[in-house]
Amino acid sequence: MIDIIDGNKCAAWGARRAKVQCVPCFPITPTTEIIETIAEWNAKGEFKGEFVVLESEHSAASACLGSSMTGARTFTATSSQGLLLMHEILPIISGCRTPMVMTTVSRCISAPIGLWPDHNDTLAMRDAGWIMFICETNQEVLDSVIMGYKVSENPKILLPVIVNMDGFVHSYTRTEVDIPEQKLVDKFLPHPELEIRLDVKKPMTLGIPAMGLDYMRYRQQLHTAMLDSFTVIDKVHKEWAKLTGRKYDFLDEYKVKDADAVIVMIGANATIARAAVDTMREKGKKVGLLRIRLFRPFPEAQLRKALEKVNKIAVVDQNICPGMGGILYPEIKMALYGTKKIISDYVQGLGGNFVSEEDYIEILNDIMKTKADDRKWQM
Amino acid sequence: MDFNIKEEMKKPHLITGGTFACSGCNPILGIRLMLIALGKNVIMVNSSGCMTLTATWPFTPYRIPWVHGAIENGGAVSAGILMGLKALKKDKDTHVVVYAGDGATYDIGLQSLSGMIHRNEKIIYICYNNCQFANTGHQCSSATEQYARTTTTPPPKGNLLPRKNMAKMMAMGGAEYCATACVSYPFDFIKKLRKAAKVEGSVFIDLLAPCEPGWLVKPNETLKAGKMMVESGMWPLYEIEKKKFTISHTPQMTPVRDALKMQGRFKHLTEEQIVEIQKIVVKEWEMITKARFWEAEEY
Repeated sequence: MIDIIDGNKCAAWGARRAKVQCVPCFPITPTTEIIETIAEWNAKGEFKGEFVVLESEHSAASACLGSSMTGARTFTATSSQGLLLMHEILPIISGCRTPMVMTTVSRCISAPIGLWPDHNDTLAMRDAGWIMFICETNQEVLDSVIMGYKVSENPKILLPVIVNMDGFVHSYTRTEVDIPEQKLVDKFLPHPELEIRLDVKKPMTLGIPAMGLDYMRYRQQLHTAMLDSFTVIDKVHKEWAKLTGRKYDFLDEYKVKDADAVIVMIGANATIARAAVDTMREKGKKVGLLRIRLFRPFPEAQLRKALEKVNKIAVVDQNICPGMGGILYPEIKMALYGTKKIISDYVQGLGGNFVSEEDYIEILNDIMKTKADDRKWQM
Repeated sequence: MDFNIKEEMKKPHLITGGTFACSGCNPILGIRLMLIALGKNVIMVNSSGCMTLTATWPFTPYRIPWVHGAIENGGAVSAGILMGLKALKKDKDTHVVVYAGDGATYDIGLQSLSGMIHRNEKIIYICYNNCQFANTGHQCSSATEQYARTTTTPPPKGNLLPRKNMAKMMAMGGAEYCATACVSYPFDFIKKLRKAAKVEGSVFIDLLAPCEPGWLVKPNETLKAGKMMVESGMWPLYEIEKKKFTISHTPQMTPVRDALKMQGRFKHLTEEQIVEIQKIVVKEWEMITKARFWEAEEY
């Protein structure tokens, strides 16, 4: 079914097609439309699951922990301060190995309070033990929510998944989207029964303290599951491509193969950067774009391979770690450690500050001239 | 009544021995009583506190499903479990029970509890009240009695604030059934839980559960300490069904001095302070026995 819908509707449709059973939530701009949509479906009887608006994001995340521990398929969504309030509970959800999917709609963090997107909220969750997909298009959001459950509920993985979109740029922008048929999703996404769950017929003690080396073993298993998820995610991507024709990968490479200079970034602005690459290619400049779609686990090996022959790399960070710089930058440097490439950081678009095609052309021209690693602000 | 406590006691215990609980621990007795009253169809939610350490990898004393989330979210984790059970159509014969300390209830967890009560979720929330943050080494909570010694309210001043009136607050917040109880009165507690099990909405029970290292009483005197709190009138036992208040035990009104003197945490109290507490207790009891419970300040 082809429709023209915004990113928020896409997330809601993803949850509906995945037949989620529980949606504990709390409203926040620019996410609210997701839960409003599900509330409307719930009122009309089109959504059959449990829908509860709790009294905070912290409680919404806590309820997600509870509902997914019973084995019910669980979905929620949040942004910005809401995500930061949830932060305490996110490592508990992953540590308890409870599968679920959450859509995060990126919005800058306070103070000063702002409504527009940057990635400081989502990237702050990078150590929470959640698999993280950061999307570029509305279609990708919808597909990733559905694929997210397949990865999350895999008995070898059992990790929660974040599907991120950018506030406003995705959340309130309508584009043409293919909503897959229910039959197709049902075939792709059966609901496996969880081995570890809260059930009076099979008592288990969950979320218990572990001391010393036992604690470390738990954490190591979490890390191992994260690394194991590469193979599962790859398989799920391929299966989805076979059913829908839409191909996804850990990295989204655009004209990278023969490029001299490449922009590395995440999020919706990649669409603008893509246009800049096209414009420069028309002028004979060998440039490209590499968008990181899978942020956790971090596809270090793939990144290294993709950029093997590229000498100039411009990392674009729509976020800031005060006192360090862009958050993406050290991760890219780490992946490319030991190579003799020029890698510079460009911090831009904080708080949804407008970014144009010309800005990316400027960045590409700048990195081509650069002789040593540099860190810059574009504003 | 189909429930025979002697028969229930003969069944295998749903919480076994061998935990890390202190000798003379009353909160863990409370769990045993709760499981005797409600049986095996219980999913127990624990908020971080002393009772979290009852199960420590690789050991567990629980023969029922048990989960610990964090300290401030007992009301919300349980709400999520109830959502899941409803979605899976397993909610009819399962009790979701929160067992959280007073710090996790009166203070940091008040928001999630208030949400749970407001939505009238079919959840039994039991606050095991040892009148302090015991697990971190006995700090003051808003359930700590006035003048009591804790590590954050050391003598000679002690705690200057009166305790919150939790059961009343929850009853006004919309809980279908509210009660106070004390581990030293097991039949009263079990009777209240049996009633709670039949309630189709939210339940809040404030269970006084003396703590040996926190109250500075001997391990073999914790039950006695609870009993003296009740008989002196300092911890009234009552229930509030849909805002209807009933006294469940008429205390002997023994002098509060006796109850206070046996607890090391009140050792520093001056004669004036003891007299002041005695006056408050007498005044409050007079009010609640004359059907003026809702006007009483302390209870």
